[in-house]
Amino acid sequence: MAERIKTATESESHHHEEHHIVPLIYYFGVFGVLVVGTILTYYAALVDLDWIFPGANTLLALLIAFFKMGCVVLIFMHVWWSSRLIWLTAIAGFFWLAIMFAFTMQDYLTRGAGVFTG
Amino acid sequence: MATHADALHDHHYHAPGLQHQFEDMGQQQESASIGMWMFLVQEIMFFGGMFTVYLVFRSKYPMAFAAGSNHLDAFWGGLNTLVLIVSSLTMALAVRYAQLGKRNLQVIFIILTMIFGTVFLGVKAIEYTKKYKEGIVPVAGLNMRTAKTASTHPGGRELSTRTGDTQDPRESLNTGVSESNTHETGEHSYYNPTGTFVWTDASLAAQAQQGGYLTDSEKIGYFSNGELNANKFRDKVRIFFWIYFVMTGLHALHMIIGLGVMAWLLWKAWMGTFSAAYYSPVEMSGLYWHFVDIVWIFLFPLLYLLGRHFLHGGAGH
Amino acid sequence: MQNVDAINVGNIKEEPRVNYLTNGFTLKSWLLTKDHKRIAILYLVTVSAFFALGGAYASLIRLELLTPASDLLQSQTYNKVFTHHGIIMVFFFLIPSIPAILGNFLIPIMIGAKDLAFPRINLLSWYFYMAGGALTLYALLRGGVDTGWTFYTPYSTTFSNGYVMAVGLGIFINGFSSILTGLNFIVTVHTMRAPGMTWFRLPLFVWSHYATSLVMILGTPVIAITILLMALERLARIGIFDPAIGGDPILFQHLFWFYSHPAVYIMILPGFGVISELISNFSRKKIFGYEFIAFSSIAIAVFGFLVWGHHMFVSGQSIYAGLVFSFLTMVVAIPSAIKVFNWAATLYKGQISYDTPMLYALFFIGLFLIGGLTGLFLGAMGLVVHLTDTYFVVAHFHYVMVGGQVLAYLGGLHYWWSKITGKMYSEFWSKIAAIIVFVGFNLTFFPQFILGYLGMPRRYASYPDEFQVLNIFSTAGASILAIGLILPLIYLTYSIFFGAKAPANPWMLPGLEWRTASPPPTENFEETPIVTWEAYEFGEESGLDLEDARNRNKVLV
Repeated sequence: MAERIKTATESESHHHEEHHIVPLIYYFGVFGVLVVGTILTYYAALVDLDWIFPGANTLLALLIAFFKMGCVVLIFMHVWWSSRLIWLTAIAGFFWLAIMFAFTMQDYLTRGAGVFTG
Repeated sequence: MATHADALHDHHYHAPGLQHQFEDMGQQQESASIGMWMFLVQEIMFFGGMFTVYLVFRSKYPMAFAAGSNHLDAFWGGLNTLVLIVSSLTMALAVRYAQLGKRNLQVIFIILTMIFGTVFLGVKAIEYTKKYKEGIVPVAGLNMRTAKTASTHPGGRELSTRTGDTQDPRESLNTGVSESNTHETGEHSYYNPTGTFVWTDASLAAQAQQGGYLTDSEKIGYFSNGELNANKFRDKVRIFFWIYFVMTGLHALHMIIGLGVMAWLLWKAWMGTFSAAYYSPVEMSGLYWHFVDIVWIFLFPLLYLLGRHFLHGGAGH
Repeated sequence: MQNVDAINVGNIKEEPRVNYLTNGFTLKSWLLTKDHKRIAILYLVTVSAFFALGGAYASLIRLELLTPASDLLQSQTYNKVFTHHGIIMVFFFLIPSIPAILGNFLIPIMIGAKDLAFPRINLLSWYFYMAGGALTLYALLRGGVDTGWTFYTPYSTTFSNGYVMAVGLGIFINGFSSILTGLNFIVTVHTMRAPGMTWFRLPLFVWSHYATSLVMILGTPVIAITILLMALERLARIGIFDPAIGGDPILFQHLFWFYSHPAVYIMILPGFGVISELISNFSRKKIFGYEFIAFSSIAIAVFGFLVWGHHMFVSGQSIYAGLVFSFLTMVVAIPSAIKVFNWAATLYKGQISYDTPMLYALFFIGLFLIGGLTGLFLGAMGLVVHLTDTYFVVAHFHYVMVGGQVLAYLGGLHYWWSKITGKMYSEFWSKIAAIIVFVGFNLTFFPQFILGYLGMPRRYASYPDEFQVLNIFSTAGASILAIGLILPLIYLTYSIFFGAKAPANPWMLPGLEWRTASPPPTENFEETPIVTWEAYEFGEESGLDLEDARNRNKVLV
């Protein structure tokens, strides 16, 4: 009978079992991306992009930062080769962060005149 | 983990590093991995609270934030970003060689990671010292002397008006505070020796006023009776520096903890504890180190670079 | 069907030579233990001590409110007393009570594991709890704080003359205890389940603790950073929470309630788990809508994060945000209601036995219903303008926290007492105590609904004369409640020394925790169990003979 029943953790750990030795090229590739991203961040901050819309500089800086973060999380932290649970955990962390930002800002951005008083 | 029956068979065999509550290494490794990621999630939320504070105040007082940010040294900040990226690479390689069971390379890369981590903290110390000397550590009680010698230190004059002013109603209300309180000790020898940073330089706010892009909070926050009030502007810059110090301070604290973990890891690796079959501690420490790196990836542009385009972009408005 | 046999022989089977209680008698064997069951006992002792202390503060509050004038306590002292009551009860009793005591003890046993995934971290979390508790107690003894347990700024950062920083630091440290416990539970449920123990065979107690742990991990760090900011702000006086110079006190409330609203689900979700166990097992019937109850726990954990603004309707938050929060507050009532309906449906045509734990469970449903429905009053943006900061609010959350969580805790403690200690308590006295608690509780807090509706504000030491009659009722009820809470302390302690020896499965129930000895051996099971049955399986084939169980019960009573 024991043979028939899968252990509770088997299905989850199966994915984790095969430990991926990431080729060096990935690590150095990510490193390159991070260095380039940092330099790009710096020089992008010097250019005034407010003519597009106010805060365009910050948006660009954040896009680069998110890209850098993605590289670190996926390659350096091996999430790309991890189980779905780890993916879910990583995403959940940022999702809850987004909840905190969004629900706090929905207050601040709708203060004062505007929404109801016209 | 194979079937349970197998686990029972080798009941008496214990792999090195296997703890008693687990059946096998796969289970232990998976537990460590999930546990570490749960820990990182709580770290995200911990820093997330600070980022929320940042978000709220930045959206309220963008010009004061830009003014404060422009006074930070982007060179040191950028250098530190690069240092941290290199340390992340060495950490990733340390994990890789732990997976491959190569002790010597493992030890070398852990040491390199520690060196770069220390360099980061060293740069941080240089920056903090500079800020301290310029008198922009926004802690009441520091820079007290400036108030009393205001006439001889014109550069630091404005800075001290609030912190050192004993007429501040909040000061008098707090004389009964029973916890340790810097106000009660009276004499302070801190002052602003260079006086290079003029807190009340509200030119960015004036620029924004001309450009017509002040936020609602700024229209209230910087102005008294329609006049630009430099002291009120200064209070908002202080908020920026406060957030800067809390965020980078917490980050540095995490770096220090990380270095402690690394030291422990180095010792374990030196003793040859880790092998291709058991390397969880290296991997978990690596996750932590990369997380701290990621926080800095966001801190660098959000703290150091947010107002540069006002300086370099010319009169765009 | 070896497992069924294991149940039937459970009572006659040879006792393990050494159980977790007899495995070491030195102080060191307790203070350095990594056994989740012993750590649960450590929590039981310390949490009970904090509960007693919080209760003592509550008695002071009720005594002061016996008369309209501020005579027993000065207003200043009264502010400190209700603050201390709140801080101790919320952070040091309600949050750790069920998860850290019952959850710690039972989760590994219920899923058939030897221990939690990280036993050392489990012990560490108890030490964090102790360190935070000690620091807080020190601050309270030195003079305490008068900010209310919510620490609202700018009062707490600028004006309050108290040990705000020390208490804040105590809560900060205590937060780590909560986080580490949650982390441990989540990992344990993911990786430590016995063969055959699939997710949908987990007892609902485990599901609710899983949901609770999610809240602990996602919410607690935010209160940590918030309290840290408050303490630093107090130290440095920058004014980020001070409106006078452009700071924002409402930001503090946002951050505070981002944790503290989900925290009420940390307090009540484990209670839901206990009640699901009790209702199903004492109706001797498979729980109705297992999946609905399981997922409603997760839904509560998720939606619980979206409603914090309903604590801030009158704070100056934007009306638009208030509307969103108000709407979501109504939404979060749905999963709670699902649970109540499912419990009621489980009771329907069940073979209900009114043992003490079941009494608590039935009381819970009634009281939680009142607490939950009055919560809808308070979630309605218009009505709250009248009710906010009145005794209506106080009565509402005491109905949920005491009528809900404390009753669930007591019910669970009675239910698993035989498993924890290996002794049976007096059924007679426990039933008396349960009824006294129910009567006393309602007499204490129901008048407060009326008082609040009539407009009596909370947090004042004195009140107009016309409120006195209802306040006397309330204080009288509190005295009765106190008796009801002291009784278990006496007869449970008595049972440890003089109680009848408990069989492994006194009620003939199917859960895994009843398939090991009472008290369990250190490794929980002689050999790792293999689960072949669904949760709450009371069918013929389960081998749980009802008649036999009833006879057995008669013998036991």
